[in-house]
Amino acid sequence: MLMFWLVLGAGEQWINPFDARGQDATILWELRLPRLLIAFSVGGLLALAGAWFQVLLGNPLAEPYVLGVAGSASVGAVAGLMLMPESAWVMSIGAFAGAWVGIVVVMAFSHLGPSRVLLAGVVLAAFWAAILALLLALLPEHGLGRAFAWMMGDLSHSDIPVPLLILAWVAALACGMLLSRSLDMLLLGERHASALGVDVHVLRRRLLWSASAVTAIAVTAAGTIGFVGLVVPHLMRLIFGTLHRFVLPASAVGGGLLLMLADTASRTVIAPAELPVGVLTAIIGVPVFLYLLLRRTS
Amino acid sequence: MNIIGLKHVTLKRGGRTLVTGFSNVIVKGRVTVIMGPNGTGKSSLLLALAGMMPATGKIILRGRPLNEHSRAELARAIAWQGDLPPTEFGLTVAQRLQLAGGEHHTDFSKSVSLMELGELLGRALGDLSSGERQRVELAALMLRDCPVWLLDEPTAHLDLRHQVICLNMLRRQSEHGRAVVVVLHDIQQAVSIADDVMLFDGRGNIAAGDVAVMLTRERLQAAFGVSLHDASLLLDYHVQENGHESTQ
Repeated sequence: MLMFWLVLGAGEQWINPFDARGQDATILWELRLPRLLIAFSVGGLLALAGAWFQVLLGNPLAEPYVLGVAGSASVGAVAGLMLMPESAWVMSIGAFAGAWVGIVVVMAFSHLGPSRVLLAGVVLAAFWAAILALLLALLPEHGLGRAFAWMMGDLSHSDIPVPLLILAWVAALACGMLLSRSLDMLLLGERHASALGVDVHVLRRRLLWSASAVTAIAVTAAGTIGFVGLVVPHLMRLIFGTLHRFVLPASAVGGGLLLMLADTASRTVIAPAELPVGVLTAIIGVPVFLYLLLRRTS
Repeated sequence: MNIIGLKHVTLKRGGRTLVTGFSNVIVKGRVTVIMGPNGTGKSSLLLALAGMMPATGKIILRGRPLNEHSRAELARAIAWQGDLPPTEFGLTVAQRLQLAGGEHHTDFSKSVSLMELGELLGRALGDLSSGERQRVELAALMLRDCPVWLLDEPTAHLDLRHQVICLNMLRRQSEHGRAVVVVLHDIQQAVSIADDVMLFDGRGNIAAGDVAVMLTRERLQAAFGVSLHDASLLLDYHVQENGHESTQ
């Protein structure tokens, strides 16, 4: 609560949330609060998707964008920007459509084992990166600023309504909690999980769809924000242990808080200008993660 | 009493036929040892028996074809122990055992103490040696209340003391009525616990029968393509200690 109060009040100018009147109240409740809620839900969704992808692919380096969904979303967003430069909505629609094109392509490989799905995803990510570079080369100069701002993460507004984002956060966490014991068993590898009664094919398919859908929502709402989905689940494992009934809620909340903090810093450090939030997530998260890693190892 | 029946089972992996038309039964209260050269399909047969690898022909569990059982039903009937689980995510020994049957299982303390894991419960699996991790897997198996146990080289990473503990434990489990099927490479270990043997010959055939009939000089020489005179370094110890004529 203290953190909410601090990040809500912080900005170009400090506003006490308990004593905001007139224009201050408008800034607080109509600009800062929605932005804070976007940051919280997007951060939580990215961290949940990251935790799922890591277990699904049996790889601690996996993160929400590992299968190329962010790449295809970026291609969609920039394509939307090229087609209708004046429309704010078209970029988001393009991102959402692009994310789903990426997901459907990856699904064609979902019957293969985790390492081959990962390989297919990495190759697809390279393919989308190449298409994105091509589109950026063709994009008129005045559109480049918007394209880069989107690609580095933009929490200033979301074309997905904030209540829907929060609903997605709650639904994703509930889904994760229902699957938490099966996810724990999947940590033992597919055969061991299967021997313990998990229908691994069904679980993998559900996880792949859920994690991809959650990534698509997060990318559409806020562009690509790296690091949160990779590191927050590991941070939470270092603090709360490995079992998913602890890791998933901790990631959903921890990812949200990290992105909220990073966004607040990005708005205030060089105010009135703003830093890209993805840069801040890395600057805050890396030292904390490395400190915990060293503490745990020693 | 038969718990699993195999009728004309054929197994293929990567386009290669491993087993052709094998029929046999797995019996409760007996230890069946599977032996044979590398790459001949011993582990694949275990996976097929656990319902984790497709096979043609019929595998019948408690009177119903294996593929008609749900995954949860199979998990209640069959416990499988194979490769060591991955260690990337920091699962501890206690958590691993919890996933197998829970720390409230009546045999939790017994399995931990038999496999000498008391000191290791809080440690991450990744911090253990292969032998210690193997002991964790054996303790996890003891927490599964399944009438059938399938084990793939359970003594592979164990030191002498824990090999003995493991083999004695398997013997006792069969005496308590479990059907224990175990892949082993060590003939002495096989002789020490087997009631029945399935011997792969590497050409898709499996000979099966009582241990005294199966582990003879002729059969072993034919299956492994080695003269038992050449293998005397491996076998003499057993012959002197046990005087078991079938391996002389």
